[in-house]
Amino acid sequence: MAEIFIDNKRFEFEGPTKVLQFILDQGLELPFFCYHPSLSIPANCRQCYVEAGQPVMNRETGKYEVDENGERVIRFFPKLMTACSLDATDGMVIKTHVTSELVRRGQKDVLEFILINHPLDCPICDQAGECPLQIQTYKYGPEGSRFEHKKVHKPKRIQLGPRVVLDAERCINCTRCVRFTEEVSKSNQLTIVQRGDHNYPVTAPGLEFDDPYSINTVDICPVGALTSSDFRFKARVWEMSSTPSVDITNGKGCSVDIWTRDNLVMRITPRHNPNINDYWMPDAGREAYKIFNENRISRPEMNLDGDKVKSSWNNALLSVAEKLQNITASELLVVGSAYACVEDNYALGKFFKQFGQDETVFIPNVIAGSGDGFLISDDQAPNSNGCRFLGQKETSTDDLRKVILSGKIKAVIVLQEDIVGRGIVTTEELGTLFSVYLGTNNNATSTAADVVVPITTAAEHIGSYVNVDGRIQRSMPAKETIYTNRRIDLEMSMGRLDHFGTKFDNWVSDKNKVDCIPAWEYFVRLSHEMEMNFQYNDVREIIAEITAANAHFSGVNYERIDSELGIDLVNKQKEELNPA
Amino acid sequence: MASLDWKSYKPILIPNIKDYHKIDVYENNGGYDSLKKILKDQSTFTPEAVTNTVKDSGLRGRGGAGFNTGLKWSFMPKPDGGPRYIAANGDESEPGTFKDRVIFEYNPHTFIEGSIIAAYAMSVSTVYVYIRGEYRSWIRMMEKAVADAYDRGYLGKNIQGTEFSVDMVVHSGAGAYICGEESSLMESLEGKRGYPRVKPPFPAQKGLWGRPTTINNIESLANVPLILNNGSEWYKNIGTSTHPGPLLYGISGHVNRPGVYEYPTGMLITDLVNEVAMGVRGGKKIKALIPGGSSTPPLRGETLEGVRMDSDSLREAGSMLGTAGMCILDEDTDMVDFLWRVSHFYHHESCGQCTPCREGTGWLEKTLLKIKNGEGTTRDLDLLLDICTQMEGRTICALADAAAWPVRYTINRFRDEFEARVKNTVYALA
Repeated sequence: MAEIFIDNKRFEFEGPTKVLQFILDQGLELPFFCYHPSLSIPANCRQCYVEAGQPVMNRETGKYEVDENGERVIRFFPKLMTACSLDATDGMVIKTHVTSELVRRGQKDVLEFILINHPLDCPICDQAGECPLQIQTYKYGPEGSRFEHKKVHKPKRIQLGPRVVLDAERCINCTRCVRFTEEVSKSNQLTIVQRGDHNYPVTAPGLEFDDPYSINTVDICPVGALTSSDFRFKARVWEMSSTPSVDITNGKGCSVDIWTRDNLVMRITPRHNPNINDYWMPDAGREAYKIFNENRISRPEMNLDGDKVKSSWNNALLSVAEKLQNITASELLVVGSAYACVEDNYALGKFFKQFGQDETVFIPNVIAGSGDGFLISDDQAPNSNGCRFLGQKETSTDDLRKVILSGKIKAVIVLQEDIVGRGIVTTEELGTLFSVYLGTNNNATSTAADVVVPITTAAEHIGSYVNVDGRIQRSMPAKETIYTNRRIDLEMSMGRLDHFGTKFDNWVSDKNKVDCIPAWEYFVRLSHEMEMNFQYNDVREIIAEITAANAHFSGVNYERIDSELGIDLVNKQKEELNPA
Repeated sequence: MASLDWKSYKPILIPNIKDYHKIDVYENNGGYDSLKKILKDQSTFTPEAVTNTVKDSGLRGRGGAGFNTGLKWSFMPKPDGGPRYIAANGDESEPGTFKDRVIFEYNPHTFIEGSIIAAYAMSVSTVYVYIRGEYRSWIRMMEKAVADAYDRGYLGKNIQGTEFSVDMVVHSGAGAYICGEESSLMESLEGKRGYPRVKPPFPAQKGLWGRPTTINNIESLANVPLILNNGSEWYKNIGTSTHPGPLLYGISGHVNRPGVYEYPTGMLITDLVNEVAMGVRGGKKIKALIPGGSSTPPLRGETLEGVRMDSDSLREAGSMLGTAGMCILDEDTDMVDFLWRVSHFYHHESCGQCTPCREGTGWLEKTLLKIKNGEGTTRDLDLLLDICTQMEGRTICALADAAAWPVRYTINRFRDEFEARVKNTVYALA
C-alpha cells in the first residue's frame, strides 16, 4: 500500500487522493477556504500551503536513493504547494504548519492579504462564530496588519435573489458559490465580475438569483458575504443549539440540523449525508422553521355549539372516549398521514385495530413534475413510504371523499392530514360527522374539527420518516414542549456550544413552549379512558415493536439510524431476499 | 559566438519586400513552399520528422518563457481520433511588447504557414489565433490573410489535394492582459472568464475543452517555415547558439528611433540602443533599461556594456529576455513614478483569482502612490519588498511574479532614488 509522511508521521493511502482531503480525513488540520469536498478544486485562496517532496528514485536500480544516514533523499518542490490540488504519491513527504516555518509564514502571509480589504465587521456579521476566516485568522493569522491605506469599497446589501443577500466587501473570492451554481444546482446564475481586488460574485444584469437551492451558497460561503434574507440578523451562532433532524417538507427527506434558541427554530441547515443530500438541501426545506414556530395549536380545542374553545386535556380525552364508545368500528374512518412519523402512524393504526377498525388510510401528496430529480421529489410528504410499509391503505382524494360522504361513516379520526385544506371534504360536510383532528398547526381541518388535539412536530419529538428512496431517518427533540425537559430527557440534543451543560445554556428557557404531546401518547392516555390495554412509556418501545413485527423495518433501531445516517429499507429487503 | 556582422543582416521574418502581406507577393517569393514540400512528400516529412527538425533548430518560444518549441510540440499525446488544438497567442499586452503586431501587418502568411506546419506536425485540425482586442485593425488584417489562405487552398479541407485538413479561426480578445497567459487564454477561448487554470494537467494533456492543446507565440510559429525551408543547421547558426534565430526587437522609450527591428538573437544592447535606435533622445545617458517587457527586472544604465540580448547573457546581467520588448529610460526619468505606473498596470490587470496577487498588486500600488506623493517612509520600502516575497511563486500563474519583480528589482537597483523620496523615520526600540 502506498505510504505518505505527514509531519514525520507515516500514513497509508489507497487510490488517487488529494493531499488536503487526505489530511482532513485523518482528522488533522490544515486551513483552507476555497476547497470544498463536493466541488471542483480551483486552488485560488492559497491558504492550504504545504511543503511537499518526493523521494529520489534511482532509475537503474528502481530503488529510492538514501543518504549516508540511510534516510531517503527527498527532493522538495521549490515552491509552497497547495495541498488541495496536490495529488498524493507514494513516498511523498508533506510538511504542514506543524513542522515547517515556511508553511507557517505562507499561511500568515495569505491571511494578511485576505484581511487587507476585508471589512473586519465581525461584531455585526452573521457569520461570526462559525466563520472560517475568523477562526483561521485567530489560529494562523498575523498579529496585526501593516496595511495603512483605504480599503477597496464594493457594493453592500445587494439582494441577489429572493433569499440571498450579498455583501461584496466581505467576499474573499473563493468562488465556492459560483462553482455551486455551476456544478451542483446547475443554474449557472452566479459569476465573478470585475477584476483584481474589485472582484465579487453577482448574477447577470437584470437576473435574479432564484435558484431553488440558493441558500446553500450561504452555507458554503466561508465569510459573511452571502447571508440568508430570512435569517440575517436574527440570531448569533453561539446562542443557538443545533439538533440533527430530517427535512419534513419534501419526500426526499434531506438530513438537516435544526438550530433553536429559546424554543424557537431559528434556522435549518443541511447536515452532511452522502446517502441522500450530500452537503445540500432545497431552500423550501429551510422555510420549515415557520411550521415549527408559527401558527401552532397549543392546548386541545373543542367545538361547543359552533364555537371553538380551548379545553383541558381531560376534557379532550373524555369527550372523544365517550363518542367512540357510542359508535361501531365500521362507522369509524381512521386517516393516517404521510406528514406524521412512523411511530405516530403505527400507534394510530394499532389503537384503532384494537378498537375493531383494521383499516387506516392515507392520501399521498404527489404533484407530478414538481420534482427536479435532485433533492426535490414529486412527493410532497416526508413519510409516504413509512405509511406504505406500515400497511396503511393508499387512497386517492376522490375515493376518500366518496367514503366519507357514503353515509356509512359517523366519525373520522385524522392524524395531521389537512383533509379540508386539501379539498377532500368541506367544512360543512365534516360538520355532519364527529371529527377528531390530531395536528401540529392551525389549518382548515383544525377549524372544522369537533376535537383538536395538539401534537408535536419533528422539532419536538423522536420520530422516524421513510423517504421516497426508502431510507429511514429520525428526528430528535430540538426544542421543548411544556411537558419535556431537556435536562432530564437525555435524548435531547445539546448544542454545539452548550455541551458543557451549564445553567447559562440558552436552552434553559421557558419561553415559547407549546402545549402539545406526541400523537402516540394521546392514544395511550385515551386508552386509559376507554379501558383498553394500550401502554407505551417511551417511543423506543414503539419502534422496537414495529421492528419485531414488521419485516420492512427489521433491524431498525435509533442507534443504527444515527450511526449509519439512516437505513435503506428497500435495499435491505433485497439483500435479505437475495443474499450475495 | 562569432562577432556578429549584424549590419549586413537581411531581415527574413519581415523581409524588405513591398506588399509582402499580400498572398500573391508572398507566394512569388517562395511562400508556402515549405508547406507544399511537406505535404508532397509526407513519407519523408512525417509529423515526427517535422517536430524533430523544429526541435533540433533550437527555436525557443518568443512569448517570454523561452521554452524549446519543438520539444513543446513533442509533449502532445498520440492522436486518439478526438479533436486537438493549437492556440496561437497573439494577445501581446505586456507594456513594451508590440512585435506580433508587425507580423500581422507585414507578414501574416509566414505565420499562417507556420501554424499549418505545426498543425501537421501535431495532427491538429483547428488553429485558434487569439489576438488582443485592442488590435482592431490588425484583427481585420489577419482575417483577410486567413480568408486568402482559404481561397488558395492552404486552409480548409484537403489542403493541396491531400488528406490533410486544418481550420484557422481568428479570435479577438476582450482587453484583459491575463488572457495572454496560456491557460487563461484557453478559458477565454472557451468563452469563460479569463482565470488561469491550475497545472497539472498541462495543456498538452487537457487544454481547450479538455483536449490536447499546444499554445505557441505568433512569432515562434512564424519562424517555423524558415526552419523547414532552410534546415535546422542553417537556423542554428543565426544568432546565439543556445537561443538562435531571428528576433523581433521592440524598442521603445527615450530613444530617437523607436520601433520593431529584426536582427539575430544575441545583439549587444548598446548596439541596439545607440545604432539601431539611433541613440537616446537628446544625447542623454540611459538610467535604466527593461530588456523584455515591463515584468522583466530593469537593468541600470551603467551595467549594460557587453550585455547581449539572449537568455544566458541577460540572466548573468540579472534580468530576462522575455519578449525582447526593450524599454529605455533616460537619466531624467523618475523611477518612483515609473514603478508606480508599472504597478498600476499590474494592479489593474490582476485577474483576482489567487489571494496573493489580487491583494498584493493593490497593496503595492497604493504604497508606491504614497511614496510618489512624498508621504512614504523608509519602512514602506522594506514593506514593498516583503509584499513581493509574499507574492512570488505563491500563485497559480506567473502574474504575481510579473508584478513583484519590477518592484523588487527597481527598488533594489535604484534604492537611492526611493530613499530620497521617503521620510527617514526612526523608530524607538521599546
